[in-house]
Amino acid sequence: MKPGAFEYRKATTVKDAVAWLHSDLNSKILAGGQSLVPVMNFRLAHPSLLVDINEIAALHQITFNADTVTLGALVRHQEMAESTEVRDRLPLLAVTARHIGHWAIRNRGTLGGSLAHADPASEWPAVMVALEAQIQVEGPDGARTIPASEFYLGYYTTELAADEIVTAVTISRTRHRLGFAEVARRPGDFALAGSIVEDFGDGQGSVTWFGVAGKPERVVLALPEEESARARSFQSALGKLSQLDDDRHRQQLAVTVAERAFQHSRLTGHEYLTFEGGQV
Amino acid sequence: MTEQAMRPQFMGARVKRVEDPRLLTGQARYVDDIEVPGMLEVAFVRSPHAAAKILSMDLEAARHAPGVRAVWTFEDCPVMLWQRDTYEVGQPVLAHDEVRYVGEPIVAIIAENRYLAEDAAELVTIRYETKTPVLDMVDAIAESPRRVHPEAQNVFFHKVYASKGFDEAFNAAEHHLSETFRTTRQTAVTLEPRCTAAMLDPASGRMTIYASTQSPHRVRSDMCELLGWDENQIRVIVPEVGGGFGMKANTYPEDIIVVSAAQKLRKPVKWVSDRTESLLSDVHARDDIHEAEVAFNSDGKIVGFRDHLMADGGAYPAYPFSGAVGETSLASRVLTGPYDIPYIATTIDCTYSNKTPLGAYRGVWGPIASFVQEGLIDRVARALGKDPADIRRINMIRPDQFPYRNSAGMVYDQGSYGESMEEALKLVDYKEFRRRQDTLRHEGRYVGIGISVFVEPTAMASSEAGSVGYESVFIRIEPTGKVTAAFGLGPTGQGHETTMAQLIADQVGVNFEDVVILHGDTDSAPFGGGTGGSRSGPIGGGAALVAGREMRARLVKLAAHLLEAGEEDIELGAGKAWVAGVPDRAMTIKELAEVAYTHVKRIPEGLPIGLELVARYQPKRAVSFSNGTHIAEVEVDVLSGLIRVLNYVVVNDCGRLINPMIVEGQIQGGVAQGIGSAFLESLRYDEHGQLVTTSLMDYLLPEATEVPRITTRHLVTPSEGEGGIKGMGEGSLIGAPAALVNAVSDALAPFGAMVRQLPVLPNDVLDWVNA
Amino acid sequence: MATKTPIRLTINHESYDVEVEPRWLLSDVIRHQLGLIGTHVGCEQGVCGACTILVDGKPERSCLVFAVQAEGADITTVEGLSTDPQHLTALQESFRDHHALQCGYCTSGMLLTATALLKKEPHPTEDAIREALSGNVCRCTGYQFIVDAILAVANGSKEVQE
Repeated sequence: MKPGAFEYRKATTVKDAVAWLHSDLNSKILAGGQSLVPVMNFRLAHPSLLVDINEIAALHQITFNADTVTLGALVRHQEMAESTEVRDRLPLLAVTARHIGHWAIRNRGTLGGSLAHADPASEWPAVMVALEAQIQVEGPDGARTIPASEFYLGYYTTELAADEIVTAVTISRTRHRLGFAEVARRPGDFALAGSIVEDFGDGQGSVTWFGVAGKPERVVLALPEEESARARSFQSALGKLSQLDDDRHRQQLAVTVAERAFQHSRLTGHEYLTFEGGQV
Repeated sequence: MTEQAMRPQFMGARVKRVEDPRLLTGQARYVDDIEVPGMLEVAFVRSPHAAAKILSMDLEAARHAPGVRAVWTFEDCPVMLWQRDTYEVGQPVLAHDEVRYVGEPIVAIIAENRYLAEDAAELVTIRYETKTPVLDMVDAIAESPRRVHPEAQNVFFHKVYASKGFDEAFNAAEHHLSETFRTTRQTAVTLEPRCTAAMLDPASGRMTIYASTQSPHRVRSDMCELLGWDENQIRVIVPEVGGGFGMKANTYPEDIIVVSAAQKLRKPVKWVSDRTESLLSDVHARDDIHEAEVAFNSDGKIVGFRDHLMADGGAYPAYPFSGAVGETSLASRVLTGPYDIPYIATTIDCTYSNKTPLGAYRGVWGPIASFVQEGLIDRVARALGKDPADIRRINMIRPDQFPYRNSAGMVYDQGSYGESMEEALKLVDYKEFRRRQDTLRHEGRYVGIGISVFVEPTAMASSEAGSVGYESVFIRIEPTGKVTAAFGLGPTGQGHETTMAQLIADQVGVNFEDVVILHGDTDSAPFGGGTGGSRSGPIGGGAALVAGREMRARLVKLAAHLLEAGEEDIELGAGKAWVAGVPDRAMTIKELAEVAYTHVKRIPEGLPIGLELVARYQPKRAVSFSNGTHIAEVEVDVLSGLIRVLNYVVVNDCGRLINPMIVEGQIQGGVAQGIGSAFLESLRYDEHGQLVTTSLMDYLLPEATEVPRITTRHLVTPSEGEGGIKGMGEGSLIGAPAALVNAVSDALAPFGAMVRQLPVLPNDVLDWVNA
Repeated sequence: MATKTPIRLTINHESYDVEVEPRWLLSDVIRHQLGLIGTHVGCEQGVCGACTILVDGKPERSCLVFAVQAEGADITTVEGLSTDPQHLTALQESFRDHHALQCGYCTSGMLLTATALLKKEPHPTEDAIREALSGNVCRCTGYQFIVDAILAVANGSKEVQE
């Protein structure tokens, strides 16, 4: 369980990082490393060059604008969980962050790393799809913005080119009531199934799952008041996923977590992203 | 005065551990902390196939890789484990013509460090011709799809037993009920992985082996037997060991390679397993099927058990203890547990397969047998519509039946079987629980309670640690009056330096702080059996008591002569000897030691110079049974399939306690492992024989969030052995899985569920609920 | 052979100048180059928590960081608590009082995680303690005595402060 040899370079600008990434086809970005390093220890990945981006100051920022918030790629999960601003203004993100791994992992693991890794059982990609976030990436030809819904292609695959890096993600702060739920064997484990539900308040809403399909997809659906009708609605939304896992237990859990996410949105009793000062 | 001096001060007290300061400050040394200049490290190329013929190996690139000192195949170390006649097949320490399980070592790379060794391992090319793997034990017993070893039948251990009059009595019972119980492979997962280092002592030419083992002398004997060394040419040192749980009682192929490489390369050599290697190659455990049947009458009285016990032993019998044989043969003898069940018939089949060898994991047979036995009891209760506690009451061995010979011929010494259950039921407030359960069910919440009354055979002559029925202590009072005692035990966290010192301090009459316990060095310790099978407390502790007592007698003789008093008038305590009733006529033990070592002319005739002796203790009884009751309360989330343990109670009886704090630590740790066994831990093979759980992301261990607070009570039924001590290292893991899964069956009774497999996984719950 | 880079690590308020290969895990460098063997390695998969150290006061896995990345960080290992058996920290002492360790292999990681927790949250609830420790596996104790040891320190400091 020792990684193979590689060259190591520390970038202080996105430009440098991208240039180095471009210079070596077998290079990898080293952000938090909490997924990459285990894979290297297993010798399942053999990058010849690691570009360490941890010292690019700009990527650590959380910036609140009037209607949006921009989260830098290097924001650590634990920062998201603990930041007073995030907890007050974007409680869904703080709730989500607490479900990721364990404390020691959250202290190092990053938002951008998780988004780029595209593990279908991980939380951030689904949350960003649910919130219709815009993912900002930068490559040798400059920066571009990709809607989260178009960013994910399938199991561990994204729109990101080999020489591009995720720099930030921007979310609109105006949303309806949101809820989050996840089922995992133990706290901190990857989800058996997880869900984000948005209740538009007019009997309509959206559901986005993780852990049950190859990629997260936001499905708009009816959210009837009656529970069994709602379950049927979730069930039919599930059927619309393009890469649904065919495991019947997973599908059953998907309906369970969707209902729990819906209940969570009710429980919190406020519109997550538009109200300030709400406690989670 | 006499009474006060004789009353144990330290035995039974919650004495803080002497081991702790070095462990708490990061100063303790485990095998991987042994660093010697020039030390080489080993990495293994392991089989990626469950079954394949090796067609060719290309080692050239690896041999020329940077930092590589040697690349070994079987030809470089042609050693077979099991050269004895016990089994027909032995395991080559490096596979040569054929591989028989995923993870089997084939090539050893010995390099300047582990990074370089792993680099070279990647350069080894091996061509294979895959074969159909043997993966299902029921098929394997029928020699299907083929033999694992062409020269030997798949069934390598077969035994049939029936108590006299079984058929007649069994058939005459009013009711019969059968079930197939299945346990999935699990493994110990010590937090410190397996590791071994070896180096020649340049001065003497002797071999020093640093081993992370439970049994230092067994390692020495195995090395002598397998590598042809003499005992006095090998020194085994066991430094700090980060957990054992039975798994570190075996000698493994990697150990042989390390020692052999140190000898042939004349360099210090070390191998430290990584976690993936651990999960692939540490002995597995608990791969068993029980086709069980119970005969009972309408009043709830159980007449007999019938059981076909099958175990998948893996590709080879683990050396020198096959877990498959251990799990089944003892299970067959203690299957009736604490119950007076007059008839039993068992058939045992242990088979080879293309999986990792099966060895010991804490409790060995016990967690499986308790799961079967307590599962059958609960099924009888449900079939008759009676309370599970009542069925247990009806069948429990009564106090007046001790010593009790069970239907398989095992003799139980005194225990508190019924009492432990009643006490545990009181602690959980059983009746109140039933009321709460009813109320919650109406709210759509499913809580359940599970009872497990267990027996734990301890202090046996034979265990995974070996077949030494006694334990030895070399005890010495130093010229300064301090006490040193050396044991052949192999503690892996149990705190023997503390508990053995407690026992000796009381006997010798010194303060606990003045006793130093040595262990884990075959040069200083007398021959011993090591730690395993819950033997260290009762047998090792017994030896400590005998050694202390003999030393005390020596001191009394010396003091009587020097103080000019009769031996019967000499008192010993707090580091002094004095004449009863005349406290001024006293000598410190230091002063006595000065006479014994320096002013030797003052030693009376008949006493030797010095104060040292070796004592051995072998219990009269072949086995001493601890017992207890576990009760678990769980809640099952029927929508997610997740199970949460709400409350857990243990009433434990291990005879006289040496240190209650340490006993409680053992209990709590065993229950945590029981939660793993019941709900989390599972080594899974796919249809090609690939182990798919090769990381701790896949093999799930209980964490602080899964283990509830455990309420513990002690009952004390002393053994007939020294000190009244019984063993207790395994009982908690023997009792726990049965209590936990019975609680799940109870919670899901409205769905007709009855757990028949360990562990219970979320999908199982969903299947019951959907059915 | 891969080229080595000179780096300076700050561990337990001391500076160490050491040459490392980029691929060397921080856990290996701490143990084998610097001889701080109190940091244990249990899985190198980021799961078991035995190798937990504090980086700028926060628990991290030293098996999932390369030593070259650790320049400039303020690192604490178990040796940074106390190495003197006569003067243990309150938490180390409490671990001993409560029998919060058996084989000792997980203990360093447990102590460091708990130290960071108590600094961040001096009076944690039992649930908060269990959640904080959930990334540190102990195979021996069943966690109860570890939780008790931490609770005792938390309650003790409460008395002092109030």
